[in-house]
Amino acid sequence: MDHILSVLVFFPAIAGLLGFVVSKESIRAYGLSVAAIEFLLSLWLWFSFDGNYPGFQFVEVAPLIPSFGINWYLGVDGISLFIIVLSTFITLVGLIALSIEKDLKNMIISLLFLEMTMVGVFVALDAIVFYIFWELSLVPMLYIIGAWGGNLRIYAAIKFFLYTFAGSLIMLVGMLVMAYLYYQATGVWSFSITEWHRLILPADYQFWLFLAFFIGLAIKVPMFPFHTWLPYAHGQAPTIGSVILAAVLLKMGTYGMVRLPLPMFPDAAVHMIMPVAVLSLIMIIYTAMVAYAQEDMKQVIAYSSISHMGVIVLGTFAMNPEGIAGSIYLMLGHGVVSGALFMLVGVIYDRRHTKLMSEFGGLAHVMPRYATIMGIMVMASVGLPLTVNFVGEFLSLAGFYKISHTMTILAGTSIILGAVYMLTLYKKSFFGEVTNEANKELKDLNGKESMALWTLVLVTVWLGVYPKPVLGPINTSVESLVSFMHKKAITKEAKETIRPTVIEREAK
Amino acid sequence: METYLYIALFAPLVGSLFASLFADKPKTIITGLVTSALLFVSWVSSVVLLLHVAHGEAVHVKMMDWIQAGGLSIPFGFNVDAVTATMMFVVTTVSTVVHVYSMGYMDHDKSFNRFFAWLSAFVFSMMVLVMSDNFAGLFIGWEGVGLCSWALIGFWYHKESASWAANEAFIMNRVADLGMLIGIFLVYWNFGSLQYDVVFAQVDKMDPTVLMMTTAFLFIGAMGKSAQFPLHTWLADAMEGPTPVSALIHAATMVTAGVYLVIRANPLYGAVPEVSLFVASLGAFVAMFAASMALVNRDLKRIIAYSTLSQLGYMFVAAGVGAYWVALFHLMTHAFFKALLFLGAGNVMHAMDDELDIFKMGGLGKTMQATMILMTIASVALAGIYPLAGFFSKDKILEAAFAGHHYILWAVLWITAGLTAFYSFRLVMLVFFGEERYKIFGYHPHEAYKFMLWAMSPLAVLAVIAGFFEHDFVHMIKAVLPVEEFHVSTGTFWFLIIVTQAIALGGIAFAVWKYSKGGFSEKWRETFVYKLLFNQYYIPKIYDEYICKPYAELSKIAWKELDVRVVDATVDFIATTIYKSGMVSRVVQSGNLSNMLRWMGAGLLILLLAAILYSPVR
Repeated sequence: MDHILSVLVFFPAIAGLLGFVVSKESIRAYGLSVAAIEFLLSLWLWFSFDGNYPGFQFVEVAPLIPSFGINWYLGVDGISLFIIVLSTFITLVGLIALSIEKDLKNMIISLLFLEMTMVGVFVALDAIVFYIFWELSLVPMLYIIGAWGGNLRIYAAIKFFLYTFAGSLIMLVGMLVMAYLYYQATGVWSFSITEWHRLILPADYQFWLFLAFFIGLAIKVPMFPFHTWLPYAHGQAPTIGSVILAAVLLKMGTYGMVRLPLPMFPDAAVHMIMPVAVLSLIMIIYTAMVAYAQEDMKQVIAYSSISHMGVIVLGTFAMNPEGIAGSIYLMLGHGVVSGALFMLVGVIYDRRHTKLMSEFGGLAHVMPRYATIMGIMVMASVGLPLTVNFVGEFLSLAGFYKISHTMTILAGTSIILGAVYMLTLYKKSFFGEVTNEANKELKDLNGKESMALWTLVLVTVWLGVYPKPVLGPINTSVESLVSFMHKKAITKEAKETIRPTVIEREAK
Repeated sequence: METYLYIALFAPLVGSLFASLFADKPKTIITGLVTSALLFVSWVSSVVLLLHVAHGEAVHVKMMDWIQAGGLSIPFGFNVDAVTATMMFVVTTVSTVVHVYSMGYMDHDKSFNRFFAWLSAFVFSMMVLVMSDNFAGLFIGWEGVGLCSWALIGFWYHKESASWAANEAFIMNRVADLGMLIGIFLVYWNFGSLQYDVVFAQVDKMDPTVLMMTTAFLFIGAMGKSAQFPLHTWLADAMEGPTPVSALIHAATMVTAGVYLVIRANPLYGAVPEVSLFVASLGAFVAMFAASMALVNRDLKRIIAYSTLSQLGYMFVAAGVGAYWVALFHLMTHAFFKALLFLGAGNVMHAMDDELDIFKMGGLGKTMQATMILMTIASVALAGIYPLAGFFSKDKILEAAFAGHHYILWAVLWITAGLTAFYSFRLVMLVFFGEERYKIFGYHPHEAYKFMLWAMSPLAVLAVIAGFFEHDFVHMIKAVLPVEEFHVSTGTFWFLIIVTQAIALGGIAFAVWKYSKGGFSEKWRETFVYKLLFNQYYIPKIYDEYICKPYAELSKIAWKELDVRVVDATVDFIATTIYKSGMVSRVVQSGNLSNMLRWMGAGLLILLLAAILYSPVR
């Protein structure tokens, strides 16, 4: 149990390396079992996790470069725990539904490496370890898009790589400055994120450092106007690539915001609420409109992802437990739902080799099971109560309401505009008569697809009806995070804006 | 009692899940029977609960926690008091009838099983809506009924018009739901809880502006679900759905959810006279506005839909002037006779092979005697003629408006009562009496199955007698809702009754007289007023031209012009600039010796100049 996090990180990678010697015929079963074991390990982590303790658990520290205070420092709290489970879960489900035949071995090995980097990012508590996994995650993805993608795959892959890479370099500069400032203040070097949290900086330092971290994270999210790599990446990536990209990789950005700039620079974060909120609103409304204009199913979902990520960022910057817990919950919800949606588009793409909505129509007649699951996921995506997205969206918006009345109304249009583009998509593709000859003989979901998709449906509904086992630990950690930020804040403005529940409870 | 509560709530869900197991299988009557039986069970439990809470107690259960984050704590909690029990009674009664009826109506439909799955799911959502003990639970039901309404309006999804209407209904309701959501946020941040009892206990010490904002935003939600102007267009289009759906969802239950919300939140609304007055005024406006459109429409179901809209307006007037119990009472009686009217319309449609134009009918009374009698009963009740149910509730609304010195509201409702009587009997006359116009079009009408007529009969009975339970109802509801005596003198009281009856009877008489003589002349259809009313005041057109189309255009521009040409082009421009500057400066590294020497010389010169310029010793 002491090294469970290291095991979680390295198991898929080592298994991936061994995958090179596994024969072609059995690679699929091999990949599946590795992913299943990894998923079970993450579940074990969850069950051994103490949901009432807000701090980091299963902490591991081993020196890497002691002279600069760089350590192999890992740990999980309620905030990261479920994103780790999400990563292993989505990898497993994605592998179950995987329909690629070409170079299957390379694909599975790439996915296992990707899994290592994803888990690595979410368990890292040392900035350098975090940064290494953050950058490493680009490599398998680059390969997945570039090798299995559509016609424009090279362009899309390079754009994805360079864009996010440029952003993270800015973040790296921020990290180096932060470490230097820590050295100046204490006389020792440290890249420990928890140590950095305790460093109180003057407002102007906070501002510039906040900016450096924020830009790096914002490109990953991706926030407007840094979002244009995403439609290309999704448009060209194979189904499995899109699933993981949307479900987990984007969450690195929003997770990073909660983990790094918020507790490190609370005053700057409060100072920047308005600009960030404006960007989020643009993301929500503008990309919802762009999504509505799309002709390609996958692009609709790609843009809808951006729109939903806007709500997540907004919830994060609500600076109260309701909003931040909601945004983390929405990260999970969006992970499950957008993953499922991309998988669903993949189902029809495998059959028809097109994703244009004009090619379809009346699919509900020929593929009723497929239409049912799509319907459930469309409704989850528009945030219907008792689905996972509602809980997150509701809490995020409720939290942000404390910050601004008008802006919440504007952000709330996401529930209208989301319904507009999702229902239009559903109507165009699934309702009406089957007019296209090519669609008349389509086969409904096969066993693999059904298994993967029904699992996702189950999780979507379960987390919508009974969020407590997940939301509870999240809330515990978030409440302590917010009170920490409140105590740490130096300006009056920040102290007033960051509203921990604990203090309110005591006041009563 | 808790067991009954859970049975009443979950029996429809069980039925729905059971039917959904057969969703893609061929028709089996079992789904219909099982769901109907479970609804009957739910009805029995509701009646038991109603009798239990009639003495002023309430049944409260907390099933489990739902959302807990920060200071926000939302349980799945259910509370049955007199108001809820009344709603449960209405919902289960009408839906049991509709389920049984649907077994006949959907007899030949290949998606029979799917229909019952959705129909029962709707009942479950509606039960959650009325039984929840907090605003968030209400919102679950609120969205749940929206979802089921979407699926049932678009039930025949092969029809473009049906799926379009379904999406319109969903999206328009979502617009209102945003208002509702904001209202819920306001409640949470100001009252610190979403539980009804906690919230209502704090009304007295709350800032008036907060109360005003809260009630206003909550009412926006109510406007969507209850299809009040300007969010009303979806209700008429929702008639694309199967007729039992129209009877259950778009007449008796879901559309009254907005009224229920105002009644439920009466401590809030009672504290804000401004918003209440707005509610009442809008209600009166919609009552007349919708009735006017019903006057000229030719579509059997749309006429009844507009009539529903108009009656919802009445309910809002009652709630707005503070007579919450009257609103609830009218909600109940209206549910009975309007569902009956719709189910009758369903029989007519079956007989006429889904023809809806009432001008192609006529004389159907001969072949469909039972349906004719049932629909006439419903129409008389709707017109508010003594001693049918509509009389008692509608008359109370007029009295309440008059007693509250809202004379304009009273006058509007009074005129609308005449219009209501007129369009109801215009419909009855055109469908059941007069020339048998359908013969030209080659229809062969036939009466519906016997058991469908029997299924409708409880509603007919209730439409006749429900009014006589007024005193028991008042007695029961006193514990929950404020019941005030209306301060009008006996003379005024009788005067009000007489003038209201007079205008209603006048409307009926005029319709009977006019349409027994062949109706209005062709010239009437050329007039501006007719065209305005027939085109629903051109509102759907305005929405399409000035909202839907510009939004689509703007979206296209946002994508093709802004996203691709500006945002992405900027990124690519930066990338190509870097790339090109690399290409240009590559020349420097050509490896040519004389070139290198030249660059070396230039570099040396620059460095020397810099040394001279920046040298500390000059």
